[in-house]
Amino acid sequence: MTAPPDVLFEIAWRFASLSLLAIGGINALLPEFHRVVVDVEGWMTSAEFADLFALAQLAPGPNAMVVSLLGWKVAGVPGAFVATVAACGPSSLLCYFTMRRFERMKRAHLRALIQRALAPVAIGLVLASGYTLAQAADRSLVALALTAAATAAIAFTRVNPVWVLAAAALVGVSGLA
Amino acid sequence: MVDFVSPAPAPSTPPATRLTLFTAFLKMGLLGFGGVMPWARRVLVDERRWLTEREFAELLGLCQILPGPNVVNLSVILGARWQGAAGALVALTGILFVPVVAVLLLATFYASVAHSPVAHAAITAASAAAAGLILGTAIRLLTGARPAPHGLAVGGAVFVAVALLHLPLLWVLAVAVPLGIALEWRLRR
Repeated sequence: MTAPPDVLFEIAWRFASLSLLAIGGINALLPEFHRVVVDVEGWMTSAEFADLFALAQLAPGPNAMVVSLLGWKVAGVPGAFVATVAACGPSSLLCYFTMRRFERMKRAHLRALIQRALAPVAIGLVLASGYTLAQAADRSLVALALTAAATAAIAFTRVNPVWVLAAAALVGVSGLA
Repeated sequence: MVDFVSPAPAPSTPPATRLTLFTAFLKMGLLGFGGVMPWARRVLVDERRWLTEREFAELLGLCQILPGPNVVNLSVILGARWQGAAGALVALTGILFVPVVAVLLLATFYASVAHSPVAHAAITAASAAAAGLILGTAIRLLTGARPAPHGLAVGGAVFVAVALLHLPLLWVLAVAVPLGIALEWRLRR
């Protein structure tokens, strides 16, 4: 697939202008990405967008890689890299400079206090994303049992998560789930 | 926080070289099926012992209030802390750019397997387990970080607001972050 420079430029500024809005990660911005690539630019259909989202969930790596796939769909491999850098670059730079200031902050007790206060917020959000994913995935009793078993395995044993996912996939293939 | 029982080295020993930094973040990126965050906790806390459970939970909180994908922010923060600007780039490359190549390879084969019923059954079951990976990680963080009662109340309220009431994340953070800091200031100072 050839990638005309003007399309790459279009991807770059469209995605970069969303980067600093992605509080809570790229998934929080998915409706906005959908609006831009499907409704405004007409780069793909809504169904193609949904397929790419599903693929990004299945693939290893951060779920944010859905933006790489969107770029790939529009302009091939160069599009994928331009989209990834544009969507993650500005937020990463902001993170880098903010944290550099934060970690050099003179009032160490204030820094420790902020961090201590944020830990429970982080845990609440992790729990919420696990719950939301479980609600979407658990459409049968077997699926619910798989979620419960995986939760217990991760929380209370040191088993490698690869085996947990592989065992669940085998249950699925066997036709039980 | 030193664990006197286990013979392993004390927590919070930073990585020695850029190569160990790179391989750790590469592992998180390439194995992170069903979300990278459970893998990040496992590799950073359990395997490498570069962070304690509590340090990980605190950093994750910072990553969540900054814009951008949480695990990408985490790699920038830790890479920069341990190896400077080059470290941030090394960690980013491991967790993001190498997996992008993998996902593009996968995307080219996707069309041929997407409609196979066997693949679909495997994926449906694995995504149920992937939700469990995240729930199990939340339990580990909770038992490891042991928030004070007021912290538990704030974390519980965040869960209810986001998961059950489906309130917009931005609003939830705009209330929960100042509230959490104020409570910590009043009650634990």
